[in-house]
Amino acid sequence: MLADMSTLFRSKLTFAWFIAAIFLELVRVLGSGSAGTTSSVVSAGLSDFVLIWSLIMIGMTASAVSSESGEFADSVMSKSVTRFDYLFAKFSSRIIYVLAMYGAISAVIVGLTLGIVKNDYQIYGLISSLLLVALALIVLTTMGVAFSTFSPNTIIAIVSLLVVWYAMMFFFPLVKLEFLSPANLITLLPGIIRGNWTTTLWNTIVGWTSISVACTGLSAIYFYLKDV
Amino acid sequence: MTSIVIETENLTKIFGSKLIAVNNLSLKVEEGEILGFLGQNGAGKTTTIRLLLGLIKPTAGDVSVFGERMNSNSSNLRKRIGYLPTNPRFPPKMTPIQYLDFVGKLFYQSKDERMGKLSKLIRAVGLLPSASREIKGFSTGMITRLGLAAALMNDPDLLILDEPTSGLDPAGRKSTLELIQELGKEKTVFISSHILSEIDRICTHISVVDEGKSIFLGSMKDMKKRTQSNTLRLELEGNLNLVFENLRNKSGVTTIVKRGEIGLDMSYDSSLSMLEAVRIAIDATAKCGSELISISSSTSSVEDAFLDILKEEESRGFLRAV
Repeated sequence: MLADMSTLFRSKLTFAWFIAAIFLELVRVLGSGSAGTTSSVVSAGLSDFVLIWSLIMIGMTASAVSSESGEFADSVMSKSVTRFDYLFAKFSSRIIYVLAMYGAISAVIVGLTLGIVKNDYQIYGLISSLLLVALALIVLTTMGVAFSTFSPNTIIAIVSLLVVWYAMMFFFPLVKLEFLSPANLITLLPGIIRGNWTTTLWNTIVGWTSISVACTGLSAIYFYLKDV
Repeated sequence: MTSIVIETENLTKIFGSKLIAVNNLSLKVEEGEILGFLGQNGAGKTTTIRLLLGLIKPTAGDVSVFGERMNSNSSNLRKRIGYLPTNPRFPPKMTPIQYLDFVGKLFYQSKDERMGKLSKLIRAVGLLPSASREIKGFSTGMITRLGLAAALMNDPDLLILDEPTSGLDPAGRKSTLELIQELGKEKTVFISSHILSEIDRICTHISVVDEGKSIFLGSMKDMKKRTQSNTLRLELEGNLNLVFENLRNKSGVTTIVKRGEIGLDMSYDSSLSMLEAVRIAIDATAKCGSELISISSSTSSVEDAFLDILKEEESRGFLRAV
């Protein structure tokens, strides 16, 4: 797990992502001027994770296992490592990486916003919004690693996850499962930050947690049964 | 009494109901043996190795290593195994020191233990000058040596080497084989190869596999005895034809065949011992004013024995199902 995380954090993509995200948020905050409020600016910044930065996360997570299939996986799996150890390390390293990047970038967003624009937030609302988006990213990450486990081909895993993630955004509202749609969360974020908590958000939390648990469980069973 | 390190019983692997890669393979490897797992490309050698390591599940049959059944979660068994895959791949941005340190962590070794071992191994495989270079710039030979070092990091009781000389130049091949031979004095070695001369050189026992099935299992001596016959192979400098004519008329010499510009194969009947046959050959050569370059018993090669085994297996026809 530590070796994996070290590779992820040291990659040039991580550095580029961080710089690009900070620059974008700086432009957004400074560009909002006197019309901007905490709820609007922070929700826009957090929405970027769901709509834009999710593309990077999809690439990083959907290659977790599939990119190593073949000799490298053989080299690791032939050592004193159980299948569970290996998969747990993949899930953990990716989740920690995504949350660390999210934490760093969102800290900059919130820090800049609180200091510059008009405050209209409730502290528990702000924290709730940050945690909800974190949960959405955990769902994305677990799905990514799961898809990477199911597919030996990284490209297929990435494309499949892209399709599923964006389908969740646009398809779920059509079948009355809008509480599971990340796009729905984006529309609710400004209200949540201002302190408006709706009961459907509990359904969102339960639903997303179930998806994460299901992805983790299914991929663990599949990985245990499959030939490396 | 030596213990059995590897045992398979009717081991079978069928991929996707289409390909029978391993077909009722039964073999035993005892402690201290250097077993050569010999077969042509596509015979099922690598698939067998992956079954031995628990990386893939058998369709039928059993695999036991160190007396315990091997499966995908047998990390306790793999702790005692060192494995070198064909064309090993390593993280390109790591250095040998970093990679071996990582391997040591996979075996839950303490920092002191890891550092001590990796220093010794890097030196032993001749990678000391490149110890802090990124692996991505390494040659095939260096990759293989690093792979061997990684396979030895846990000081295994069993070494499984899949085509360890693949892609190496002659010098690299020689040093790798010498290293394996040295390791074989302390460990049980299972080496898969399609290169007969390598198996001949270093192995004590051999298993021949063809189309996923073991068609011979025994010692090297037993294998070579299969094609032993009364023939001497001579290489001469001088008048080959004169020596040929001289030997043709000797009592006890059954056939004499020319081989190229300098070679003669002399077969003799059982009335002569090998010593007498050698004496006749030497006398004839000297009498004709020629010089003997080399003399050998021509049928002690693994290649002849291997081809003989394959031919015999093919000729069994339907009896192969028994």
